[in-house]
Amino acid sequence: MSLQEPSGTQLPNTTGGNGSGTIIEARNISVTFRLDSGSEIVAVRDFSISIGAGEFVGLMGEPGCGKSIAAMAMMGLVRPPGQITQGSIKFLGQDLLGLGEEEQRAIRGRDIGMIVQNPRFSLHPMLRVGAQISNVYRAHNKVSRRAAWNHAIDMLRMVGINDPEQRVKAYPHELSSGMAQRVLIAIALSSGPRLLIADEPTSGLDVTIQAQFLDQMWETVRKTMSAVLLVTQDLGILANYCDRVLIMQKGSLVEEAPVYQFFETPQHEYSKSILALQRETLDGHTDIARIDKNQLPFIRIDNLTKHFPIRGSRSKVHAAENVTIEIKRGECVGLVGESGSGKTTVGRCLLRLEEPTTGEIAFDGVNLASLPLETFRKYRSKMQIVFQDPLDSLNPRWTVDQVLAEPISLHSDMSSDQRAKRILDLLGLVGLEEDVLTALPRELSAGRQQRVSIARALASNPQFIVLDEPTSALTPETTAEIIRLLIDLSNELKIAYLFISHDLTTVKFICHRVIVMYLGQIVESGTKDQVFNTPRHPYAKALLSSHLFPDVSNRRVDREVRQTLAGEIPSPITENLPKGCYLYGRCPSQKERCRDMSQDLKSIEDGRLVRCWRVTEGDLTDNA
Amino acid sequence: MTDGSNLLPGAVTRVPVGLDAPPPTEYRKRRRQIDLVRKFRTEFLFAVGCVIIFLSIFLAVCGAWISPYDPTFSTGDVSVGPPSLKEWPSLLWEALTSDMEKPPHWFGTDSSGLDIFSRTISAPRTDMTIALSSGLLSLIIGTFLGLLAGFYKNWATEILMRVSDLLQAFPVFITAMILVALTGRNTFIIVIALGIVYTPIFVRLTRAEVLSQRTRGYVEAARAVGNSEWVVAIRHVLPNSLVPSLVQTSTTIGFAILLTSGLSFVGAGVRPPTPEWGLMIALGAPEMILGEWWQSVFPGLAISITVFGYAAVGHGLEEDYR
Amino acid sequence: MLQRFVIRRIIIAVFQLIGISLAVFFLIRMLPADPVARIVGMNATPDIIAQAKASLGLDKTVLQQLGNYIGIFSDTKDPGILEGSLGVSWVTGESITEEVGRFLPVTLELITYSLIIALLIAIPTGVVSATRPGGIGDKIVFVWGLFAGSQPEFWWALIFVFFFFYWSFALFGISIAPAPLGRLSPLTDAPDVITGFIVFDALIQGEFEAFVDAAWHLMLPVGTLVFVVSGPIIKMVRQNMVRVLRSDYVLYARSCGLSSRTIGLYALRAAMAPAMTLIGIFYGFLLGGAVPVELIYSLGGLGEYSLRSILYFDYPAIQGTVLTIAMVSLIIYLVIDILHAFIDPRVTY
Repeated sequence: MSLQEPSGTQLPNTTGGNGSGTIIEARNISVTFRLDSGSEIVAVRDFSISIGAGEFVGLMGEPGCGKSIAAMAMMGLVRPPGQITQGSIKFLGQDLLGLGEEEQRAIRGRDIGMIVQNPRFSLHPMLRVGAQISNVYRAHNKVSRRAAWNHAIDMLRMVGINDPEQRVKAYPHELSSGMAQRVLIAIALSSGPRLLIADEPTSGLDVTIQAQFLDQMWETVRKTMSAVLLVTQDLGILANYCDRVLIMQKGSLVEEAPVYQFFETPQHEYSKSILALQRETLDGHTDIARIDKNQLPFIRIDNLTKHFPIRGSRSKVHAAENVTIEIKRGECVGLVGESGSGKTTVGRCLLRLEEPTTGEIAFDGVNLASLPLETFRKYRSKMQIVFQDPLDSLNPRWTVDQVLAEPISLHSDMSSDQRAKRILDLLGLVGLEEDVLTALPRELSAGRQQRVSIARALASNPQFIVLDEPTSALTPETTAEIIRLLIDLSNELKIAYLFISHDLTTVKFICHRVIVMYLGQIVESGTKDQVFNTPRHPYAKALLSSHLFPDVSNRRVDREVRQTLAGEIPSPITENLPKGCYLYGRCPSQKERCRDMSQDLKSIEDGRLVRCWRVTEGDLTDNA
Repeated sequence: MTDGSNLLPGAVTRVPVGLDAPPPTEYRKRRRQIDLVRKFRTEFLFAVGCVIIFLSIFLAVCGAWISPYDPTFSTGDVSVGPPSLKEWPSLLWEALTSDMEKPPHWFGTDSSGLDIFSRTISAPRTDMTIALSSGLLSLIIGTFLGLLAGFYKNWATEILMRVSDLLQAFPVFITAMILVALTGRNTFIIVIALGIVYTPIFVRLTRAEVLSQRTRGYVEAARAVGNSEWVVAIRHVLPNSLVPSLVQTSTTIGFAILLTSGLSFVGAGVRPPTPEWGLMIALGAPEMILGEWWQSVFPGLAISITVFGYAAVGHGLEEDYR
Repeated sequence: MLQRFVIRRIIIAVFQLIGISLAVFFLIRMLPADPVARIVGMNATPDIIAQAKASLGLDKTVLQQLGNYIGIFSDTKDPGILEGSLGVSWVTGESITEEVGRFLPVTLELITYSLIIALLIAIPTGVVSATRPGGIGDKIVFVWGLFAGSQPEFWWALIFVFFFFYWSFALFGISIAPAPLGRLSPLTDAPDVITGFIVFDALIQGEFEAFVDAAWHLMLPVGTLVFVVSGPIIKMVRQNMVRVLRSDYVLYARSCGLSSRTIGLYALRAAMAPAMTLIGIFYGFLLGGAVPVELIYSLGGLGEYSLRSILYFDYPAIQGTVLTIAMVSLIIYLVIDILHAFIDPRVTY
């Protein structure tokens, strides 16, 4: 793969020290926390960075490495009881740390804007959004209340919120997280800052919304020649948007490189491990064993529908509608979608953690959905689940030993010696050492906790495991390890997986087949290659286009045409769902007929299923 | 599956654990969370509280034995004041070294000749028995009801919560007065009455914690592994829901002491001549106007210090579990 | 929206009041106390016992008694609740409604002043000490809060009387505080009753002498209650403020460059909202604490009245006071909830 600078990306000339172009230059910043007990923790050590006008710089590292602290320190701010104990920051030529408190305050919010990670914990819950935006604006500009309020409305419009005159009166808890996040951008941009510090601004946002958000930030930066320091853990964001990449580990910078160079030839050990999975994916090489195409599926979900009633209202939440899935032994089926797609609901109904409203779940011919709960419990040994949050899914008071012993004693009558041996075998399978048996969950790292969850799932010797976003809470390097583990386990033990995820990178790596869901319905399904290389359904196309693969040869910002969907994802409540195609109102290829005619899942050539009349009737010709 | 033989024999150690720090060899040894001993050594307030609690229980058990005089019989010396501070060291020395026939009245005597010091250190038997028993009673009943209310949401638990709210909203002192005064004012009844009065606190705490734990992943995982609902509730949810209630117990015991002595003070609690701090204060109140301060001051001081001790310990535990 | 909320709460409150009165009615009749024996003594003949029983109405069945109480069977002397009468006291023979009406304002005055003063002292103290957590001032304040909140208020009332009345006279020749014999000195003319709050009534009627005297008499009782209730308030305010000041809200506000004043107001509002419900609890606590305080200072309020009724097994009086106190509590909780909803828009109606 050769390094070529595609058109559209103009990397501004910004080596540090270049007078007029440099917006901020930090040298040897150290941040120390002094605890009540008297001990000190050095959270950030010798951090140096230089960002020029028009630059989009990414800062990455595992949780706890100090990247958020370093980023916030760029505006001279540290969460108490921390302090900046060393270093200098030159902002637009001025010595930031040398300024008085009042002058620093003036710069913050006006010349340097900050977007934090979680709007729910940062926006004041008791003030209207408009008031919060205007308060910040008026803190830096002498304007009347009326003028500030109008400015707030303008800012909301600029960040893409429809109907800003109404929304400006809302309280934060009345907004969706996507909208709340945009309010944060509105506040940060309200006085036209030269530098924008964004700390994981898109975590928790859906893929398509994230794409809209980042596109907007990118354009703003290029247009105004301001700069962005983006803190993230997502390699996809780094690859697709950033000009330069900085990597932190345990408080120190370990690598700094232009983005192409970083992805091509990472220098530091740590960087290499982060990129482990991505390099394998891009090589197109995967270890997952091929399965016998001709065998019959042993699990069949038939017309699964799940509705949740809403209290005090006649409408329902349509979590899943007529979902039909077949799974063969040893097969890994990926279930992808955004919030409201129903993918998590399907996984849970499969294990009857929720009761399906209607539909059949056939396991080796037996309809599990109709069994009484008592009888069904015996089948639990055959079908297990691994959850998203590793710490949350383990009993905080139980040692690993107890966690693993429980399923064994429930589903077999081994003696305690046999049980102990089995537990050791399980540990070996997931790559954990024996000492871990006396540990409590909180004493283990996230990666180890997830291995314990997997070991627990394997304990009853299942034939099928539902994996509900198993790597979403993990760092990229840990994700790589866990995915490899899952592949090895499936190959050896012939276990089938239902892999539920919104992270298309991992899905591409591990799955044989992929199913795309939207608002409770399956909109497209096919083999991995079919769906990823040539998606047909407009939603699938937008999803794949919005997903940020860590592939610098195909950056989103470089593409001519970016498939997007208009607006936000509606919540799947009865009154929101259109009569016809659920994507109507957002689809770039919609026609009149789409609005009223309800769409069915039909097969097209090469065994695929698509829910779109324009595709199945050949009306939509295109390329991915 | 009956045994493990269908696993691949000699399963090889998988993918190396990578960048995680090398694991400590003994997790249990490094565990430092509920380290009460360390807390005792480092936090002064907590340590003081623990000492006070210990003293209160010690006196409850042995107070009546070690008291110099019988707390319910007159000593013959009526309304004698306590010895002045100057005399204390020599008197102390004498009392400890020789076997005095007539020990000094450290806290003076009251108008019936009863020795205040003996009564003050015998009173914990009454006060602490009532406070500890009612505290424990309300803890046990409250957490059990709270678990039910948190786990099952039906009309019965709704009514339970409404009743509990009402009970909690009504002034505690008056509720206790009614329950105690109208049922006979013996120790057993007082324990039951206070137990009832303090149960709603634990119901509310436990229920809130159960509701919060129910949505946690490990509860679902426990179901997915194959446990029945009841087992999930008892083996998984309950042990994780007890902490707030346990932490609240010390503070509640302190309140119970205040309530017991308050009730006895106004005449709606323990009956004389049982030594009880509140009662002693009431008996000594008229004398205070005349200048005989020692009859009411010492028992009150005892209450003040004891309840403070329980409150300090309760607060210390709260800080850790917040 | 607000209207619907208030109306719904009032309806619920009515049901709760009915529930409470029924509960108390049956409860006290189930408990072993015997009001008849209290009146006639141990050595009464069966005739006298029967006579006493009849005069108390206890010879009828419980349901008949309930009917009388409510007012289903009309009886001109005691028309029942439906006609607005709470009955007649078995001890004094007077109308309970009247007695309660006389005593309630005394207690309310005591409690209201205590709570307001306690809030005025405790809130700023808690806020200021939170700005320097771990400092000497903070440690002192917080230990003080812990200490004050664990004190027996009846004992401190006695100590205050002892010091400020007796001892100050013995030492200096004058008493800082008046004798604990009521709300006014015997020689002062009481102001006309408008609200029943004697200090307030005297003030608005311009009766200066009565105003000063009444305030002087309330000085110690209010002081005692303020001392004890300010403890938990300080603790709570401080805790909330420390948490808010370290929270992400404040950090974000600083990153936006808001002035310290604005951030302080943001923090205060966020810290106070969850504390509102606790204020209601403090009111309830004060209602109970008023009993011994009224007793010691001879103020003649509802606390004393309820104590007397209970000790004398005066069933109608007990029922009357419980009903009154419950009503007052429910009103206060409703007001607090409305205030809370104003401050915190997350609270749904």
